[in-house]
Amino acid sequence: MIRVEDVTKLYGPVHALDHVTFEVADRQVLGFLGPNGAGKSTAMKIITTYIAPSQGRVTVDDLDVSKFPIEVRRKIGYLPETNPLYPDMRTDDYLRFCGEARGLSGAALRERFHWVVEACGIQSVLKKNIHELSKGFKQRTGLAQALIHDPQILILDEPTSGLDPLQIIEIRRLVQELARSKTIVFSTHILQEVSATTDRIIIINEGRIIADGYISDLKNEAAGVTHVRATMSASRAAVEREVQQLAGLSGWSIVGEADNAVTVDLKSPLGSDLRRKVGELAARHNWPVLELTVPALSLEDAFIELIKKSDTARKHEKGSRAREVVRA
Amino acid sequence: MRNVGIILRREFRAYFDSPIAYIFMIVYLCVNTWLFMSGFFLAGVADMRGFFGNIPLFNTFFLPAVAMRLWAEDKKSGTMELLMTLPMKSWEVVLGKYLAALSFYGLTLLGTLTLPISLAILGNPDMGAIFAGYLGSVLLGAFFLAIGIFVSGLFKDQIAAFLVGSLLCLFFYLVGQDWVAAPIDGWIGGLGSFLQSHVGFWTHFESIERGVVDLKNLLYFATLTALFLLLNTLSLEGRRF
Repeated sequence: MIRVEDVTKLYGPVHALDHVTFEVADRQVLGFLGPNGAGKSTAMKIITTYIAPSQGRVTVDDLDVSKFPIEVRRKIGYLPETNPLYPDMRTDDYLRFCGEARGLSGAALRERFHWVVEACGIQSVLKKNIHELSKGFKQRTGLAQALIHDPQILILDEPTSGLDPLQIIEIRRLVQELARSKTIVFSTHILQEVSATTDRIIIINEGRIIADGYISDLKNEAAGVTHVRATMSASRAAVEREVQQLAGLSGWSIVGEADNAVTVDLKSPLGSDLRRKVGELAARHNWPVLELTVPALSLEDAFIELIKKSDTARKHEKGSRAREVVRA
Repeated sequence: MRNVGIILRREFRAYFDSPIAYIFMIVYLCVNTWLFMSGFFLAGVADMRGFFGNIPLFNTFFLPAVAMRLWAEDKKSGTMELLMTLPMKSWEVVLGKYLAALSFYGLTLLGTLTLPISLAILGNPDMGAIFAGYLGSVLLGAFFLAIGIFVSGLFKDQIAAFLVGSLLCLFFYLVGQDWVAAPIDGWIGGLGSFLQSHVGFWTHFESIERGVVDLKNLLYFATLTALFLLLNTLSLEGRRF
Protein backbone atom coordinates (compact mmCIF):
# COMPACT_ATOMS: atom_id res chain seq x y z
CA MET A 1 0.00 0.00 0.00
CA ILE A 2 1.44 3.33 -1.07
CA ARG A 3 -0.05 6.43 0.49
CA VAL A 4 0.82 9.91 -0.73
CA GLU A 5 -0.64 12.57 1.52
CA ASP A 6 -0.73 16.21 0.55
CA VAL A 7 2.74 16.14 -0.96
CA THR A 8 4.36 19.26 -2.35
CA LYS A 9 7.78 19.38 -3.96
CA LEU A 10 9.41 22.68 -4.72
CA TYR A 11 12.36 23.13 -7.03
CA GLY A 12 13.20 26.68 -6.10
CA PRO A 13 9.97 28.57 -6.68
CA VAL A 14 8.61 25.94 -9.07
CA HIS A 15 5.93 23.57 -7.78
CA ALA A 16 6.92 20.24 -9.29
CA LEU A 17 4.14 18.74 -7.17
CA ASP A 18 1.40 20.81 -5.64
CA HIS A 19 -0.58 19.23 -2.78
CA VAL A 20 -0.87 15.81 -4.33
CA THR A 21 -2.80 13.05 -2.55
CA PHE A 22 -3.45 9.52 -3.73
CA GLU A 23 -3.27 5.89 -2.70
CA VAL A 24 -2.29 2.69 -4.41
CA ALA A 25 -3.71 -0.49 -2.93
CA ASP A 26 -1.79 -3.76 -2.83
CA ARG A 27 -1.66 -5.57 -6.17
CA GLN A 28 -3.14 -2.61 -7.96
CA VAL A 29 -1.72 -1.33 -11.23
CA LEU A 30 -1.70 2.42 -11.48
CA GLY A 31 -0.90 4.32 -14.64
CA PHE A 32 0.52 7.79 -14.24
CA LEU A 33 -0.32 10.00 -17.18
CA GLY A 34 0.60 13.51 -18.03
CA PRO A 35 2.55 15.70 -20.40
CA ASN A 36 6.31 15.96 -20.01
CA GLY A 37 7.27 17.97 -16.97
CA ALA A 38 3.93 17.41 -15.25
CA GLY A 39 5.46 15.92 -12.12
CA LYS A 40 5.16 12.18 -12.81
CA SER A 41 8.85 11.48 -12.32
CA THR A 42 9.00 13.71 -9.26
CA ALA A 43 6.22 11.73 -7.61
CA MET A 44 8.00 8.47 -8.37
CA LYS A 45 11.33 9.76 -7.12
CA ILE A 46 9.70 10.70 -3.84
CA ILE A 47 8.08 7.28 -3.41
CA THR A 48 11.42 5.57 -4.09
CA THR A 49 13.16 7.89 -1.56
CA TYR A 50 15.47 9.33 -4.22
CA ILE A 51 14.29 12.81 -3.28
CA ALA A 52 12.44 14.05 -0.23
CA PRO A 53 9.12 15.90 -0.36
CA SER A 54 9.15 19.58 0.64
CA GLN A 55 5.85 19.07 2.42
CA GLY A 56 3.48 16.22 3.13
CA ARG A 57 3.96 12.57 3.93
CA VAL A 58 4.53 9.44 1.88
CA THR A 59 4.20 5.98 3.39
CA VAL A 60 4.89 2.59 1.88
CA ASP A 61 3.22 -0.20 3.87
CA ASP A 62 2.82 2.32 6.71
CA LEU A 63 6.56 3.10 6.71
CA ASP A 64 7.32 6.79 6.33
CA VAL A 65 9.76 7.17 3.43
CA SER A 66 11.61 10.00 5.18
CA LYS A 67 12.11 8.06 8.41
CA PHE A 68 12.71 4.54 7.11
CA PRO A 69 14.26 4.98 3.66
CA ILE A 70 16.30 1.76 3.79
CA GLU A 71 13.29 -0.41 4.72
CA VAL A 72 11.20 1.24 2.01
CA ARG A 73 13.91 0.73 -0.61
CA ARG A 74 13.98 -2.99 0.20
CA LYS A 75 10.34 -3.28 -0.83
CA ILE A 76 10.66 -1.37 -4.07
CA GLY A 77 12.02 -2.19 -7.50
CA TYR A 78 12.64 0.98 -9.48
CA LEU A 79 13.30 1.64 -13.13
CA PRO A 80 14.03 5.37 -13.46
CA GLU A 81 13.32 7.33 -16.60
CA THR A 82 17.01 7.31 -17.49
CA ASN A 83 17.87 3.65 -17.46
CA PRO A 84 20.52 3.25 -14.73
CA LEU A 85 22.97 1.01 -16.57
CA TYR A 86 26.75 0.89 -16.42
CA PRO A 87 27.66 0.85 -20.11
CA ASP A 88 31.08 -0.70 -19.56
CA MET A 89 29.78 -3.62 -17.50
CA ARG A 90 28.69 -6.96 -18.83
CA THR A 91 24.97 -7.65 -18.50
CA ASP A 92 25.42 -10.62 -16.17
CA ASP A 93 27.94 -8.77 -13.98
CA TYR A 94 25.58 -5.84 -13.77
CA LEU A 95 22.63 -7.97 -12.68
CA ARG A 96 24.75 -9.81 -10.14
CA PHE A 97 25.96 -6.50 -8.74
CA CYS A 98 22.37 -5.25 -8.44
CA GLY A 99 21.34 -8.48 -6.74
CA GLU A 100 24.19 -8.38 -4.25
CA ALA A 101 23.63 -4.71 -3.54
CA ARG A 102 20.02 -5.64 -2.78
CA GLY A 103 21.16 -8.14 -0.20
CA LEU A 104 21.03 -11.36 -2.23
CA SER A 105 23.81 -13.92 -2.24
CA GLY A 106 24.55 -17.57 -2.91
CA ALA A 107 21.72 -19.80 -4.02
CA ALA A 108 19.06 -17.12 -3.58
CA LEU A 109 20.95 -14.82 -5.93
CA ARG A 110 21.43 -17.59 -8.50
CA GLU A 111 17.76 -18.46 -8.40
CA ARG A 112 16.58 -14.84 -8.79
CA PHE A 113 19.19 -14.25 -11.48
CA HIS A 114 17.85 -17.11 -13.58
CA TRP A 115 14.29 -15.99 -13.00
CA VAL A 116 14.83 -12.42 -14.21
CA VAL A 117 16.96 -13.52 -17.14
CA GLU A 118 14.13 -15.81 -18.21
CA ALA A 119 11.31 -13.36 -17.48
CA CYS A 120 12.97 -10.45 -19.26
CA GLY A 121 14.32 -12.55 -22.12
CA ILE A 122 17.93 -11.41 -21.90
CA GLN A 123 19.61 -14.83 -22.10
CA SER A 124 21.26 -13.98 -25.41
CA VAL A 125 22.98 -10.80 -24.22
CA LEU A 126 24.27 -11.89 -20.82
CA LYS A 127 27.91 -12.03 -21.94
CA LYS A 128 27.79 -8.75 -23.84
CA ASN A 129 28.84 -5.34 -22.63
CA ILE A 130 25.81 -3.22 -21.92
CA HIS A 131 26.83 -0.45 -24.33
CA GLU A 132 26.60 -2.96 -27.18
CA LEU A 133 22.95 -3.77 -26.48
CA SER A 134 20.03 -2.47 -28.51
CA LYS A 135 17.64 -0.07 -26.89
CA GLY A 136 15.12 -2.84 -26.31
CA PHE A 137 17.60 -5.11 -24.57
CA LYS A 138 18.86 -2.20 -22.49
CA GLN A 139 15.34 -1.51 -21.34
CA ARG A 140 14.81 -5.17 -20.48
CA THR A 141 18.06 -5.21 -18.53
CA GLY A 142 16.85 -2.15 -16.63
CA LEU A 143 13.63 -3.96 -15.86
CA ALA A 144 15.55 -7.06 -14.78
CA GLN A 145 17.52 -4.88 -12.37
CA ALA A 146 14.27 -3.64 -10.83
CA LEU A 147 12.98 -7.19 -10.44
CA ILE A 148 16.06 -8.99 -9.17
CA HIS A 149 15.13 -8.84 -5.50
CA ASP A 150 11.51 -9.85 -6.13
CA PRO A 151 10.07 -6.58 -4.77
CA GLN A 152 6.43 -6.27 -3.74
CA ILE A 153 6.26 -2.88 -5.40
CA LEU A 154 7.44 -1.92 -8.85
CA ILE A 155 7.91 1.71 -9.85
CA LEU A 156 8.49 2.05 -13.59
CA ASP A 157 9.13 5.49 -15.03
CA GLU A 158 8.25 5.40 -18.73
CA PRO A 159 9.29 1.77 -19.17
CA THR A 160 8.45 1.71 -22.88
CA SER A 161 9.81 5.04 -24.04
CA GLY A 162 11.89 4.76 -27.16
CA LEU A 163 10.97 1.16 -27.90
CA ASP A 164 9.51 -0.12 -31.14
CA PRO A 165 5.92 -1.44 -31.17
CA LEU A 166 6.94 -5.09 -30.82
CA GLN A 167 9.15 -4.37 -27.86
CA ILE A 168 6.40 -2.29 -26.30
CA ILE A 169 4.03 -5.24 -26.53
CA GLU A 170 6.60 -7.50 -24.88
CA ILE A 171 7.19 -5.14 -21.96
CA ARG A 172 3.46 -4.62 -21.62
CA ARG A 173 2.89 -8.37 -21.48
CA LEU A 174 5.53 -8.72 -18.80
CA VAL A 175 3.97 -5.93 -16.75
CA GLN A 176 0.56 -7.57 -17.06
CA GLU A 177 1.99 -10.84 -15.85
CA LEU A 178 3.72 -9.18 -12.92
CA ALA A 179 0.56 -7.31 -12.05
CA ARG A 180 -0.96 -10.52 -10.74
CA SER A 181 1.35 -10.55 -7.74
CA LYS A 182 2.76 -7.04 -7.40
CA THR A 183 1.78 -3.46 -6.86
CA ILE A 184 2.84 -1.52 -9.93
CA VAL A 185 3.02 2.19 -10.56
CA PHE A 186 4.13 3.17 -14.02
CA SER A 187 4.18 6.41 -15.91
CA THR A 188 3.79 7.06 -19.57
CA HIS A 189 2.66 9.66 -21.99
CA ILE A 190 1.52 7.06 -24.47
CA LEU A 191 -2.16 6.64 -23.89
CA GLN A 192 -2.80 3.25 -25.44
CA GLU A 193 -0.40 1.93 -22.92
CA VAL A 194 -2.59 2.65 -19.94
CA SER A 195 -5.67 1.24 -21.57
CA ALA A 196 -3.71 -1.90 -22.41
CA THR A 197 -2.16 -2.55 -19.02
CA THR A 198 -4.25 -0.99 -16.33
CA ASP A 199 -7.63 0.33 -15.57
CA ARG A 200 -6.88 2.87 -12.92
CA ILE A 201 -5.11 6.02 -14.00
CA ILE A 202 -4.05 9.29 -12.49
CA ILE A 203 -3.66 12.22 -14.80
CA ILE A 204 -1.31 14.85 -13.58
CA ASN A 205 -0.64 18.28 -15.04
CA GLU A 206 1.57 21.08 -13.76
CA GLY A 207 2.10 19.23 -10.50
CA ARG A 208 -1.56 18.66 -9.74
CA ILE A 209 -3.76 15.63 -10.04
CA ILE A 210 -6.51 16.55 -12.47
CA ALA A 211 -8.17 13.16 -12.69
CA ASP A 212 -8.00 9.95 -10.69
CA GLY A 213 -10.19 7.01 -11.51
CA TYR A 214 -11.07 4.31 -13.99
CA ILE A 215 -10.66 4.87 -17.69
CA SER A 216 -14.36 4.61 -18.52
CA ASP A 217 -15.26 7.22 -15.89
CA LEU A 218 -12.59 9.57 -17.07
CA LYS A 219 -13.82 9.39 -20.63
CA ASN A 220 -17.25 10.50 -19.54
CA GLU A 221 -15.89 13.22 -17.34
CA ALA A 222 -13.76 14.55 -20.14
CA ALA A 223 -16.49 14.20 -22.74
CA GLY A 224 -19.15 16.69 -21.70
CA VAL A 225 -19.91 17.14 -25.39
CA THR A 226 -21.51 14.99 -27.99
CA HIS A 227 -19.74 14.80 -31.24
CA VAL A 228 -20.93 13.93 -34.73
CA ARG A 229 -19.07 13.73 -37.99
CA ALA A 230 -21.13 13.99 -41.16
CA THR A 231 -20.15 13.76 -44.81
CA MET A 232 -22.72 15.31 -47.11
CA SER A 233 -22.85 15.88 -50.80
CA ALA A 234 -23.09 19.67 -50.89
CA SER A 235 -21.03 22.74 -51.56
CA ARG A 236 -18.79 23.97 -48.81
CA ALA A 237 -20.23 27.46 -48.83
CA ALA A 238 -23.78 26.18 -48.40
CA VAL A 239 -22.84 23.88 -45.56
CA GLU A 240 -20.92 26.61 -43.79
CA ARG A 241 -23.83 29.02 -44.12
CA GLU A 242 -26.44 26.58 -42.83
CA VAL A 243 -24.38 25.05 -40.01
CA GLN A 244 -23.68 28.50 -38.71
CA GLN A 245 -27.40 29.00 -38.23
CA LEU A 246 -27.95 25.76 -36.32
CA ALA A 247 -28.92 26.42 -32.73
CA GLY A 248 -27.34 24.72 -29.73
CA LEU A 249 -23.88 23.93 -31.10
CA SER A 250 -20.81 24.35 -28.94
CA GLY A 251 -18.50 24.15 -31.90
CA TRP A 252 -18.12 23.01 -35.50
CA SER A 253 -15.51 22.77 -38.22
CA ILE A 254 -15.11 21.58 -41.78
CA VAL A 255 -12.65 18.74 -41.66
CA GLY A 256 -12.62 17.55 -45.26
CA GLU A 257 -13.75 18.35 -48.75
CA ALA A 258 -13.62 15.95 -51.69
CA ASP A 259 -15.68 14.98 -54.78
CA ASN A 260 -18.42 17.51 -54.17
CA ALA A 261 -18.79 16.28 -50.61
CA VAL A 262 -18.06 18.11 -47.39
CA THR A 263 -17.17 16.52 -44.07
CA VAL A 264 -18.15 18.55 -41.06
CA ASP A 265 -17.56 18.00 -37.36
CA LEU A 266 -20.27 19.18 -35.00
CA LYS A 267 -20.14 19.36 -31.25
CA SER A 268 -22.85 20.16 -28.77
CA PRO A 269 -23.18 20.09 -24.99
CA LEU A 270 -24.30 16.81 -23.45
CA GLY A 271 -27.96 15.89 -23.73
CA SER A 272 -28.96 16.92 -27.21
CA ASP A 273 -29.02 14.42 -30.05
CA LEU A 274 -26.94 15.90 -32.80
CA ARG A 275 -27.64 13.07 -35.25
CA ARG A 276 -31.26 14.15 -35.52
CA LYS A 277 -30.27 17.76 -36.12
CA VAL A 278 -27.88 16.81 -38.88
CA GLY A 279 -30.45 14.54 -40.47
CA GLU A 280 -33.04 17.29 -40.48
CA LEU A 281 -30.58 19.80 -41.89
CA ALA A 282 -29.66 17.48 -44.75
CA ALA A 283 -33.31 16.69 -45.49
CA ARG A 284 -34.27 20.35 -45.55
CA HIS A 285 -31.63 21.15 -48.17
CA ASN A 286 -31.81 17.88 -50.03
CA TRP A 287 -28.17 17.02 -49.32
CA PRO A 288 -27.51 13.29 -49.62
CA VAL A 289 -25.81 12.15 -46.45
CA LEU A 290 -22.91 9.90 -47.44
CA GLU A 291 -21.72 9.13 -43.96
CA LEU A 292 -22.74 9.93 -40.41
CA THR A 293 -20.54 8.77 -37.54
CA VAL A 294 -20.36 9.35 -33.83
CA PRO A 295 -16.68 9.18 -33.07
CA ALA A 296 -16.16 7.53 -29.70
CA LEU A 297 -14.13 9.71 -27.42
CA SER A 298 -10.71 8.11 -27.38
CA LEU A 299 -8.40 8.23 -24.44
CA GLU A 300 -6.33 10.77 -26.37
CA ASP A 301 -9.30 13.12 -26.62
CA ALA A 302 -10.16 12.55 -22.97
CA PHE A 303 -6.60 13.34 -22.02
CA ILE A 304 -6.41 16.49 -24.11
CA GLU A 305 -9.80 17.67 -22.87
CA LEU A 306 -8.83 17.17 -19.24
CA ILE A 307 -5.52 18.97 -19.67
CA LYS A 308 -7.27 21.85 -21.41
CA LYS A 309 -9.86 22.03 -18.66
CA SER A 310 -7.22 22.12 -15.96
CA ASP A 311 -5.28 24.80 -17.82
CA THR A 312 -8.29 27.06 -18.17
CA ALA A 313 -9.28 26.42 -14.56
CA ARG A 314 -5.83 27.42 -13.49
CA LYS A 315 -5.79 30.55 -15.64
CA HIS A 316 -9.16 31.45 -14.20
CA GLU A 317 -7.85 30.94 -10.69
CA LYS A 318 -4.79 33.04 -11.38
CA GLY A 319 -6.99 35.74 -12.87
CA SER A 320 -9.28 35.87 -9.85
CA ARG A 321 -6.28 35.89 -7.55
CA ALA A 322 -4.87 38.81 -9.48
CA ARG A 323 -8.20 40.63 -9.28
CA GLU A 324 -8.28 40.11 -5.52
CA VAL A 325 -4.82 41.58 -5.24
CA VAL A 326 -5.91 44.59 -7.30
CA ARG A 327 -8.97 45.06 -5.10
CA ALA A 328 -6.94 44.79 -1.93
CA MET B 1 30.59 -3.63 5.80
CA ARG B 2 29.23 -6.11 3.29
CA ASN B 3 27.66 -3.22 1.41
CA VAL B 4 30.93 -1.28 1.35
CA GLY B 5 32.61 -4.35 -0.10
CA ILE B 6 30.03 -4.74 -2.87
CA ILE B 7 30.39 -1.12 -3.97
CA LEU B 8 34.18 -1.28 -3.63
CA ARG B 9 34.43 -4.32 -5.87
CA ARG B 10 32.27 -2.82 -8.62
CA GLU B 11 33.98 0.54 -8.57
CA PHE B 12 37.45 -0.98 -8.55
CA ARG B 13 36.63 -3.15 -11.54
CA ALA B 14 35.11 -0.14 -13.27
CA TYR B 15 38.56 1.47 -13.37
CA PHE B 16 39.76 -1.37 -15.53
CA ASP B 17 36.69 -1.54 -17.76
CA SER B 18 38.12 1.30 -19.80
CA PRO B 19 41.68 1.79 -21.02
CA ILE B 20 42.00 5.05 -19.08
CA ALA B 21 43.12 3.25 -15.92
CA TYR B 22 46.01 1.59 -17.71
CA ILE B 23 47.03 4.83 -19.37
CA PHE B 24 46.95 6.65 -16.05
CA MET B 25 49.05 4.01 -14.39
CA ILE B 26 51.63 3.86 -17.14
CA VAL B 27 51.97 7.64 -17.30
CA TYR B 28 52.27 7.87 -13.52
CA LEU B 29 54.91 5.20 -13.33
CA CYS B 30 56.90 6.38 -16.35
CA VAL B 31 56.98 10.05 -15.42
CA ASN B 32 57.74 9.46 -11.76
CA THR B 33 60.43 6.91 -12.43
CA TRP B 34 61.96 9.00 -15.16
CA LEU B 35 61.99 12.15 -13.01
CA PHE B 36 63.73 10.19 -10.29
CA MET B 37 66.17 8.31 -12.46
CA SER B 38 67.29 11.36 -14.44
CA GLY B 39 68.99 12.78 -11.35
CA PHE B 40 69.80 9.51 -9.67
CA PHE B 41 73.07 8.64 -11.35
CA LEU B 42 74.33 12.22 -11.05
CA ALA B 43 73.75 12.24 -7.31
CA GLY B 44 74.91 8.68 -6.84
CA VAL B 45 73.07 8.30 -3.53
CA ALA B 46 70.93 5.24 -2.82
CA ASP B 47 67.86 6.93 -1.34
CA MET B 48 64.42 7.93 -2.62
CA ARG B 49 64.16 11.47 -1.25
CA GLY B 50 63.91 12.85 -4.76
CA PHE B 51 61.14 10.44 -5.64
CA PHE B 52 58.99 11.26 -2.63
CA GLY B 53 59.70 14.95 -3.10
CA ASN B 54 57.96 14.79 -6.48
CA ILE B 55 54.92 12.93 -5.19
CA PRO B 56 52.93 15.88 -3.71
CA LEU B 57 52.83 18.01 -6.84
CA PHE B 58 52.32 14.99 -9.02
CA ASN B 59 49.41 13.74 -6.91
CA THR B 60 47.84 17.20 -6.99
CA PHE B 61 46.98 16.51 -10.61
CA PHE B 62 46.96 12.74 -10.78
CA LEU B 63 44.60 11.94 -7.92
CA PRO B 64 41.78 14.37 -8.79
CA ALA B 65 41.84 12.66 -12.18
CA VAL B 66 41.45 9.28 -10.48
CA ALA B 67 38.59 10.53 -8.31
CA MET B 68 36.77 12.74 -10.82
CA ARG B 69 34.57 9.97 -12.20
CA LEU B 70 33.43 8.61 -8.83
CA TRP B 71 30.16 10.57 -8.69
CA ALA B 72 30.18 12.74 -11.79
CA GLU B 73 29.92 9.67 -14.01
CA ASP B 74 26.95 8.30 -12.08
CA LYS B 75 25.24 11.65 -12.21
CA LYS B 76 25.66 11.88 -15.95
CA SER B 77 24.66 8.33 -16.82
CA GLY B 78 21.67 8.07 -14.46
CA THR B 79 23.12 5.30 -12.29
CA MET B 80 22.99 7.80 -9.43
CA GLU B 81 19.32 6.95 -9.05
CA LEU B 82 20.18 3.27 -8.80
CA LEU B 83 22.87 3.82 -6.18
CA MET B 84 20.78 6.20 -4.10
CA THR B 85 17.77 3.88 -4.03
CA LEU B 86 19.73 0.80 -2.97
CA PRO B 87 19.01 -0.35 0.57
CA MET B 88 22.31 1.08 1.79
CA LYS B 89 23.34 4.07 3.85
CA SER B 90 24.93 6.93 1.94
CA TRP B 91 28.18 6.62 3.86
CA GLU B 92 28.48 2.98 2.82
CA VAL B 93 28.35 3.94 -0.85
CA VAL B 94 30.77 6.82 -0.26
CA LEU B 95 33.22 4.58 1.56
CA GLY B 96 32.96 1.85 -1.07
CA LYS B 97 33.72 4.26 -3.90
CA TYR B 98 36.46 5.96 -1.93
CA LEU B 99 38.21 2.72 -1.04
CA ALA B 100 38.05 1.65 -4.68
CA ALA B 101 39.93 4.81 -5.69
CA LEU B 102 42.37 4.33 -2.83
CA SER B 103 43.00 0.74 -3.89
CA PHE B 104 43.66 1.90 -7.42
CA TYR B 105 46.17 4.42 -6.14
CA GLY B 106 47.71 1.77 -3.89
CA LEU B 107 48.10 -0.52 -6.87
CA THR B 108 49.86 2.25 -8.78
CA LEU B 109 52.22 2.83 -5.85
CA LEU B 110 52.96 -0.89 -5.81
CA GLY B 111 54.20 -0.43 -9.34
CA THR B 112 56.88 1.96 -8.11
CA LEU B 113 58.36 -0.73 -5.85
CA THR B 114 60.75 -1.45 -8.69
CA LEU B 115 62.72 1.57 -7.47
CA PRO B 116 63.48 0.45 -3.89
CA ILE B 117 64.20 -3.03 -5.20
CA SER B 118 66.72 -1.66 -7.70
CA LEU B 119 68.23 0.50 -4.97
CA ALA B 120 68.61 -2.49 -2.69
CA ILE B 121 70.47 -4.30 -5.45
CA LEU B 122 72.69 -1.34 -6.33
CA GLY B 123 73.51 -0.06 -2.87
CA ASN B 124 72.48 -0.09 0.71
CA PRO B 125 69.50 2.25 1.09
CA ASP B 126 67.80 3.13 4.38
CA MET B 127 64.70 0.94 4.14
CA GLY B 128 63.10 2.68 7.13
CA ALA B 129 63.19 6.01 5.31
CA ILE B 130 61.74 4.43 2.19
CA PHE B 131 58.95 2.85 4.18
CA ALA B 132 58.20 6.21 5.82
CA GLY B 133 58.14 7.81 2.39
CA TYR B 134 55.59 5.30 1.17
CA LEU B 135 53.51 5.82 4.30
CA GLY B 136 53.51 9.57 3.65
CA SER B 137 52.52 9.00 0.03
CA VAL B 138 49.61 6.77 1.03
CA LEU B 139 48.37 9.26 3.62
CA LEU B 140 48.67 12.14 1.19
CA GLY B 141 46.88 10.08 -1.46
CA ALA B 142 44.08 9.23 0.96
CA PHE B 143 43.64 12.94 1.68
CA PHE B 144 43.65 14.00 -1.97
CA LEU B 145 41.24 11.26 -2.98
CA ALA B 146 38.85 12.40 -0.24
CA ILE B 147 39.01 15.90 -1.73
CA GLY B 148 38.51 14.39 -5.16
CA ILE B 149 35.45 12.32 -4.28
CA PHE B 150 33.86 15.25 -2.47
CA VAL B 151 34.34 17.55 -5.46
CA SER B 152 33.13 14.85 -7.85
CA GLY B 153 29.89 14.75 -5.87
CA LEU B 154 29.29 18.40 -6.65
CA PHE B 155 29.57 18.11 -10.41
CA LYS B 156 27.95 16.34 -13.29
CA ASP B 157 30.93 17.01 -15.48
CA GLN B 158 34.12 15.06 -14.87
CA ILE B 159 36.40 17.74 -16.28
CA ALA B 160 34.91 20.33 -13.93
CA ALA B 161 35.38 17.92 -11.02
CA PHE B 162 38.98 17.37 -12.07
CA LEU B 163 39.81 21.07 -12.34
CA VAL B 164 38.19 22.10 -9.07
CA GLY B 165 39.65 19.08 -7.29
CA SER B 166 43.13 19.94 -8.55
CA LEU B 167 42.76 23.55 -7.48
CA LEU B 168 41.70 22.49 -4.02
CA CYS B 169 44.64 20.10 -3.71
CA LEU B 170 46.91 22.83 -5.02
CA PHE B 171 45.60 25.16 -2.32
CA PHE B 172 46.59 22.69 0.42
CA TYR B 173 49.96 22.32 -1.31
CA LEU B 174 50.67 26.04 -1.67
CA VAL B 175 49.70 27.22 1.82
CA GLY B 176 52.26 24.77 3.17
CA GLN B 177 55.13 26.44 1.28
CA ASP B 178 57.49 28.96 2.86
CA TRP B 179 57.34 31.30 -0.13
CA VAL B 180 53.56 31.47 0.21
CA ALA B 181 53.42 31.59 4.02
CA ALA B 182 55.97 34.41 4.33
CA PRO B 183 54.11 37.04 2.28
CA ILE B 184 50.79 36.15 3.98
CA ASP B 185 52.49 36.65 7.32
CA GLY B 186 53.58 40.04 5.99
CA TRP B 187 49.96 41.08 5.39
CA ILE B 188 48.32 39.58 8.45
CA GLY B 189 50.77 38.64 11.16
CA GLY B 190 50.71 34.93 12.00
CA LEU B 191 48.11 33.87 9.44
CA GLY B 192 50.67 32.55 7.01
CA SER B 193 52.45 30.42 9.61
CA PHE B 194 49.14 29.20 10.99
CA LEU B 195 47.99 28.08 7.55
CA GLN B 196 51.38 26.55 6.87
CA SER B 197 51.41 24.38 9.98
CA HIS B 198 47.72 23.56 10.35
CA VAL B 199 46.18 23.66 6.88
CA GLY B 200 48.98 23.03 4.44
CA PHE B 201 50.22 19.45 4.25
CA TRP B 202 53.86 20.11 3.36
CA THR B 203 55.30 20.14 6.90
CA HIS B 204 53.32 17.04 7.87
CA PHE B 205 54.25 15.18 4.73
CA GLU B 206 57.90 16.09 5.10
CA SER B 207 58.11 15.04 8.73
CA ILE B 208 56.57 11.67 7.97
CA GLU B 209 58.90 11.25 5.01
CA ARG B 210 61.84 12.02 7.29
CA GLY B 211 60.60 9.27 9.58
CA VAL B 212 58.76 11.37 12.18
CA VAL B 213 55.57 9.35 12.30
CA ASP B 214 53.98 11.09 15.28
CA LEU B 215 50.36 11.55 16.26
CA LYS B 216 50.21 15.17 15.15
CA ASN B 217 51.10 14.32 11.57
CA LEU B 218 48.86 11.28 11.42
CA LEU B 219 45.96 13.23 12.91
CA TYR B 220 46.36 15.96 10.33
CA PHE B 221 45.80 13.53 7.45
CA ALA B 222 43.16 11.48 9.25
CA THR B 223 41.10 14.53 10.20
CA LEU B 224 41.10 16.15 6.80
CA THR B 225 40.41 12.87 5.02
CA ALA B 226 37.49 12.13 7.33
CA LEU B 227 36.23 15.69 6.96
CA PHE B 228 36.01 15.51 3.17
CA LEU B 229 34.40 12.07 3.25
CA LEU B 230 31.86 13.41 5.73
CA LEU B 231 31.23 16.44 3.53
CA ASN B 232 30.70 14.10 0.60
CA THR B 233 28.13 12.06 2.55
CA LEU B 234 26.36 15.21 3.71
CA SER B 235 26.21 16.63 0.21
CA LEU B 236 24.60 13.39 -0.99
CA GLU B 237 22.05 13.50 1.80
CA GLY B 238 21.41 17.18 1.13
CA ARG B 239 20.79 16.51 -2.55
CA ARG B 240 17.46 14.89 -1.66
CA PHE B 241 15.95 18.16 -0.44
